[in-house]
Amino acid sequence: MIYDAVVIGAGPNGLVAAATLAGRGKRVVVLEAADAIGGHTRAIEFTPGFRAPLSDDAGWIPPSVMREVPMTAAGPFMVNTSAYVAAQDGSLIRLPVRSEGPDFTRHSARDAAKWPEFTARFSRFAAILGRMYQLPPADIDTTSLGDILPLAALGLQVRMLGRADMTEFLRVMPMSVQDFADDTFESELVKAAVAAAAVRDLRQGPRSGGTMYNLVHYMAGAAGLRSRQWALNGPDAVSLAAAAVGKGRGVEIQTGVRVARITVRNDAVTGVALENGDEISARLVISTADPKRTLLGLVEPQWLDPEIGLAVSNIKLRGCTACVMYATDAAPADAFKAPVSLTSSTVALEKAADAAKYGEMSAEPHVECWSPSLRWPSLAPAGKHILVARMQYAPYALKSGPWSTTDVTSLEKKVAAAISRVIPRFAESVRHAHVLTPKDIETRFGVTEGALTQGEMMLDQIMFMRPIPGWGRYAMPIRGLFLGGAGAHPGPGILGGAGILAARAALK
Amino acid sequence: MPAPANRFDALVIGGGHNGLVAAAYLARGGKKVCVLERRPVLGGASVTEEIYPGFKFSVFSYVVSLLRPEIIRDLDLPSHGLQILPLESTVTPMDNGDYLAGWADWDETRRELVRHSPRDAEAMVEFGRLMQHMAMAVKPILGMVPPDPASMAPSDLMGLLKLGGHFRSLGAERFHALYKLMTMSSADYLDEWYEFDTLKATKSASGIIGTFLGPRSPGSAYVLLHHYMGEIDGAFRAWGFQKGGTGAISEAIANAARAHGCEIRTDASVERVLVNGETATGVVLTNGDELRAPIVISGLDPRLTFTRLLDPRQLPTDLVDGVSRYKFRGSSGKVNLALSGLPEFAALKHDKDLMARAARGAFSISPSMEYLERAYDDAKYGQFSRNPYMDIVIPSMIDPGMAPPGKHVMSVFVQYAPHNITGGWDDAKRDAFGNAVIKTIARYAPNIESLILHKQVITPADIERITGLTEGNIFQGELALHQLFFLRPVPAWAKYRTPLRGYWQCGAGTHPGGGIMGASGRLAALEILGQ
Repeated sequence: MIYDAVVIGAGPNGLVAAATLAGRGKRVVVLEAADAIGGHTRAIEFTPGFRAPLSDDAGWIPPSVMREVPMTAAGPFMVNTSAYVAAQDGSLIRLPVRSEGPDFTRHSARDAAKWPEFTARFSRFAAILGRMYQLPPADIDTTSLGDILPLAALGLQVRMLGRADMTEFLRVMPMSVQDFADDTFESELVKAAVAAAAVRDLRQGPRSGGTMYNLVHYMAGAAGLRSRQWALNGPDAVSLAAAAVGKGRGVEIQTGVRVARITVRNDAVTGVALENGDEISARLVISTADPKRTLLGLVEPQWLDPEIGLAVSNIKLRGCTACVMYATDAAPADAFKAPVSLTSSTVALEKAADAAKYGEMSAEPHVECWSPSLRWPSLAPAGKHILVARMQYAPYALKSGPWSTTDVTSLEKKVAAAISRVIPRFAESVRHAHVLTPKDIETRFGVTEGALTQGEMMLDQIMFMRPIPGWGRYAMPIRGLFLGGAGAHPGPGILGGAGILAARAALK
Repeated sequence: MPAPANRFDALVIGGGHNGLVAAAYLARGGKKVCVLERRPVLGGASVTEEIYPGFKFSVFSYVVSLLRPEIIRDLDLPSHGLQILPLESTVTPMDNGDYLAGWADWDETRRELVRHSPRDAEAMVEFGRLMQHMAMAVKPILGMVPPDPASMAPSDLMGLLKLGGHFRSLGAERFHALYKLMTMSSADYLDEWYEFDTLKATKSASGIIGTFLGPRSPGSAYVLLHHYMGEIDGAFRAWGFQKGGTGAISEAIANAARAHGCEIRTDASVERVLVNGETATGVVLTNGDELRAPIVISGLDPRLTFTRLLDPRQLPTDLVDGVSRYKFRGSSGKVNLALSGLPEFAALKHDKDLMARAARGAFSISPSMEYLERAYDDAKYGQFSRNPYMDIVIPSMIDPGMAPPGKHVMSVFVQYAPHNITGGWDDAKRDAFGNAVIKTIARYAPNIESLILHKQVITPADIERITGLTEGNIFQGELALHQLFFLRPVPAWAKYRTPLRGYWQCGAGTHPGGGIMGASGRLAALEILGQ
C-alpha cells in the first residue's frame, strides 16, 4: 500500500494531524501500538469491568483545531466544575471558577475576596498563551513575514492588555509559585491549592522558578484553575471524534501495530518498518511519539547529526508522576468529579519534591484524585466506582535501583493513606488497586520515562526551545520527518495543538 | 535656609561603591556633590576594618571581578589606589581525601582535570569559550538603561528595537545558549557539559552565591553567568583581591570623586528626604542638619529608598506594593578569622609546594552537588546549613600587609544562613552557626581550630544591622528573572528615576545590580547628566 504520509500514534495529536493532512488530499495511515486509539486519553481496563483514563485533565482543543477538524461527535462539553483542595482536617474546600462565591471564607476572607480577581487575571494570561499556542513558535532568526505578522498582532494584543497586566504577565511567568502565592494569598490552604496545580508533572517543587508558567499553561482554555471541560461522551470522546473526521476523509487507522524504525535514505524518510517485519512507504512521517523515542529510538543514529543527538538526549523528561487506579464499592462524594488536591501546605509539596531531587520516592507524596465514574457511569459496573489518583513524586529512575514490588506496594500504601484522610473507610471500599509507576507508564503508553509531558514544561523547554533549541518548527533534520506530539510546541494538554501545526508544516 | 556650606547640586545618600561611583561621575560632570555616609567608614559592604589588632579584614565583600572596566578608565582608578592582585586558584577538597584544583593557567587546569575526567577536560575548553561569548553577549545589556516594554515613548521603543537587534545579531545558537542561561538551573546547565560531580558542584556554587536558590533551582544559571561577567584587564572570569582589602576600592573611588571636587561626609546619617509637593529638595540628617540640592540620589536598597527615606504615602500604591513584594532574602553569612599560622588542608598535605600555592587562591567547600543541594534544603526550612557551602580565601598570603608577619587573616563566605531563620537570629544561633562553619572547615583542614586567635561571625541579621542592607541581601535584592532589567527594582521605575522629581536611585537594587560592579551608580549618574 502506498501512502503519502504515516502518522505514528493515535492520540489526539496524531489523529488531528492525520485528519488535517487528509483534508488536503493526502493518503494517510495512522499507526497505533496499543489495541485502541486515544493515547493517554484512552480508558484502560485495569481490572475486569473497570476502566479508567490515565489523565485527570480534559485538555483543551484550540479553536483553530476545531475549525480544521470539527470534532462535534465528541458531544457537548460539560459545564465547568470546581476543583477542590483538602484541608488539614480532611474537609474539602471548593476552588470556584471565577466569580462564584468561594467557600474558603472561613480560611481567609481576604483570600476569598481576592480569588475572583486572581482567576480572572490568570484566565486573561492563559488566553494569551492560548493564542500563542495556535501559531508555530517564532525564533530569533525568523524572517518570514507570514510568520512574523501573526506574532506581531499577538504582541500588539499583549500590549493592549494595558500596562498593569502586561508587565505583570512578563514578571510573573518566570516566578516560582511559592513567591507568587506568598505575595498574593495569606491562607496556606489556598497557596497549596494553587501550588499543586503549578507543579503538575514537573520534578520541581513550588519554590522553583518557572512553576508559574506551568500553572498558566494548564489554564489555557479554562475558565479558571483546573476547570478544563470534558466532553460528555467520555474521556476519549475527543480522540474518537477526531478519528471519525479522519476516516471520513479517507484516513486509515491501524491499531496494535508497533513501529520498529523510521526508514531513511539520503537524508530523507522513505517510510516506516514495523516490528512484524512489514514496511510502509511514505515520503512524510509525522511522529507523535516523544522526541527521544522518535529521534534516538526510531531513527538510526547515522542519520542524525551528533550535536542534535546530544541536544535530544539533554531533553528533560523526568517522569515523576505515578498513577493508582482503584475499583471501589462506594460512591465518592460529588467533589470527586474533578481532581481533588490532597496536599494542604506548600511545605508538604516542597518536601515531597525534595525526595525526587535525590532519586527517592516522596515519604509523604502529593496526591490528587478524582472519580471518572461519577461523570461516566459506564466506566464501572452498576453501583461500583473508580477512583484515580495521581501521585508526585515517584521518580522514573530510583536511586535504589529498578522499581521493585516493595516500592510499588509502598507507593500504593502512601496513596491510600492520603486518600483515607478525606474519604473515611476508603480502604474497606477498595476492591482492587492498580499501580502505574512511571516505568509502567513508559511500557504501557510508550512515552520515555513515563513522562506524559514528553518534556517538562519548564521555561527552557517551551516555544522555540521545544523539543530542542533551533528545531521548534516541527520539521526535523531528516527531510520528510515531523514531530507532532506533546514534545513539540505547544506541549501537553493542548489537544491536537502540536498535531495541526506539524501537519501544516508538512504540507508546506 | 541651610548655610551655603550645606547647599549642593546633588546629594548622594550612602557611601557604598555605587553611591561613590555615581558621585564621582556627577562631580566629573561639573556638579557640586556631597556624599552622606551613616557609618564612620566609607564603602557600605566594601569596607576594610581592623577588627582585631594588627589584622585587617574585608569584612563583607571580599573579592572583586565585576567592577566595570569603563568605570576604572573613566575615573582613572589605578592612579587613585585601585590595585587588583589576581586570585590564582580554586581548590576543592573532596570527601575521598583527593582534591580538585583550578589554576589561573589554563593548561595546568586542564591537566589537573584530566586526572579526574578526560571528557570534562575536553569539554572545559568549549565551555569556557561559550561562557566568554555569553559574557560578551550580556555586556551591552549591562551598560544599557532598561527600556520599558509597556511604554510607547520613542526612547523606549528605540531601546526595545536596539535590544531586539542585539539578540538577533547573536545568531540563533548563541541566543539559545543565552536563553538557557537565563532560565535553567546551574545544575541542569552544567549537567549538559560535565560529568565529574565535584567539578559541577564547584562551578555551580557561583550560581547560588548571594541568592536563596539551590543549584537545582531554575534561575541559578543566570547567577552563574552574572559571576562570569567579570573582567580584570580585559580577561573574563578573573577574580582578584584589592590590595588593602575591598575598603581600598571604595577609597579609590572616593579619591577619584574628591579629585573632581566632591565632598564626602561620614557619620552623616540621613533621617529622611525632604519633599516639597512632588519634588525632592534635600535631606535632613538624624542630627537635625538640613542639606539642600535639586538632585537627591539614594544608593540604598529599594525598601530603604522608598519606604524609610520617604513616607510611602507620598508614593503611588503600585510602586509601594512592588517594593513590598521585592525579594531580598539574605542567604549568606561570613566568618572572618585571625589565625596564628597557615591552616593545613589534609588533601594537600603531601605536597608542601602545592599547599603554599593553593593558599594564595580560594578553597571551595563544595565536594558534591548533593552536598550543596542539601545545604539549601536546610535553609529552605528555616535553618542554617549544617554542612554549608564555603568560599575561603586567605588574603594575607597575597597581600602581607593584612596581618602581622607569620600570621594570617582568613575570610570565609558561607551559605546558607537564611535571614528568616526560624525564631530569628540571636547570639546563641550566631555561635552555633560559627561553630558549624569551623567544624566543617576542620573536616578538611584539621588544624584550623588550634590557629584561631579571633573569630568574627556575621549573620544576615548582622549584615543588615551594620551595613543597612535589607535582610542582609548582598545584592540589594535577589538576582531573579522577575527582578532583573526592566523589572528591577519594580516595573515602570527601573530607569533610576522615582515618582518624585529630583529623587533618583543608584544602588545595586537597580539594573544591573550585584557585586562590586559599579554599573548601577554609573548608569544612574549618566541618566541624571542626560547622557
